[in-house]
Amino acid sequence: MDGIHDLGGKEGYGPIDVDDDGSPFHHDWEGREWGIAQCARTPGITIDWWRHCRELIMPQDYLGRPYFDSWAQTDLSTYIEAGWFSMEEVIVGKATPGESYCGPAAAMSLQQVLQEDHNHAFRFDAEIESVPVFSIGQHVLTSIHGNVGHTRLPQYARGRKGVVHAHHGAHVLPDLSAQGKEVHQHLYSVSFAATELWPEVQNSKDKVYLDLWESYLSDGQP
Amino acid sequence: MPDFDSKKVAEIHEQLHSHLPSDSALRVKALETLLVDKGLVNPDTIDAWVEAYTEEIGPKRGARVVAKAWSDPKYKQRLMQDAPAAIDELGYLGKATAHLKVVENTDDVHNLVVCTLCSCYPFSILGIAPAWYKAAAYRSRAVRDPRGVLAEFGVNIADDVEVRVWDSTAELRYLVLPQRPPGTGQMDESELADLVTRNSMIGTNRELGINRGSTD
Repeated sequence: MDGIHDLGGKEGYGPIDVDDDGSPFHHDWEGREWGIAQCARTPGITIDWWRHCRELIMPQDYLGRPYFDSWAQTDLSTYIEAGWFSMEEVIVGKATPGESYCGPAAAMSLQQVLQEDHNHAFRFDAEIESVPVFSIGQHVLTSIHGNVGHTRLPQYARGRKGVVHAHHGAHVLPDLSAQGKEVHQHLYSVSFAATELWPEVQNSKDKVYLDLWESYLSDGQP
Repeated sequence: MPDFDSKKVAEIHEQLHSHLPSDSALRVKALETLLVDKGLVNPDTIDAWVEAYTEEIGPKRGARVVAKAWSDPKYKQRLMQDAPAAIDELGYLGKATAHLKVVENTDDVHNLVVCTLCSCYPFSILGIAPAWYKAAAYRSRAVRDPRGVLAEFGVNIADDVEVRVWDSTAELRYLVLPQRPPGTGQMDESELADLVTRNSMIGTNRELGINRGSTD
């Protein structure tokens, strides 16, 4: 979707607040939200559906509210959409007795959680029968259109010519994964000259690399 | 089960916008309370995750990987060829690093990592991303004006050095291998790791040195 989340190359966001004290969390609630996101996910959803639900947050909230707040709102939206929480329960902030009870969940220790983090090294690739259409060094052209749902081809890189830098096998296609469908498609790293992407860039050899699925690409003559 | 219904979620967000308290702490509290009430989450497990990413998992892991690559050419070769396996040798494979790629800075190349579409980050070796990495200013500008962005971090890149920006649009995650600073030939891995900053592994820091290292 051409949403507020697609920030690459957008202008007007000002200087970067480079100061950072290295603390992972600056408020207790940020740590709580991080922990919640690690130990629970709405049953049946995919990472791409979760990302899409975050993209669907109203623009003023997406830009104006704190980062981990947007995670909490995304979590709430996925639980409500899937029928685990009612809107009333969320507004009141507690469960209606007897609704969707499936617990209690077991407590995990620090050591168990560290092992769980290791278990969370999820892979998204798989062997597929079709051979890759593009080869390393080949010139490619990106699609001029996005996708009304979730997609990972940013607006700034649409309709642009690039060169295949690497092939990574077949990975889960986010556009369909966000609809609950697991389809693998060849994934490539594609390099784009900065001069191809940005009108103000002249005489530069700088490049931007994106990881793009095969259906985002077509053959592009140099 | 989810219906994967975008319109429904957009409406849910509108309702949440209108009816939730503004205070983020109250919103997260409501989420946690509901998850605990429904038996989906145990609060002690949340505590353990907070502790894990406060005390155990963070940029010190990435710094150790970099120091080992500087010290051991064979390890560096394995890291460049198969980063997930190489970090797993140290027990660091985990959340968001199963498709890790390492990109190496040289005299002629500087690498910078961003996620313009969300905030993808190699959690199990760098921990929680800094606030600026997740903010609109960095996400919008890193791909368009990387040299201007780097200058704001105090990093000036010579004209003849190529800047490569890596936009994390898939499940691949990127770790920058910074250059080993001169004059460190006698240092052991532990001393070298102390020189490696978090920002140098994202690419917003370039020249490391004995007096330049910090915890940022």
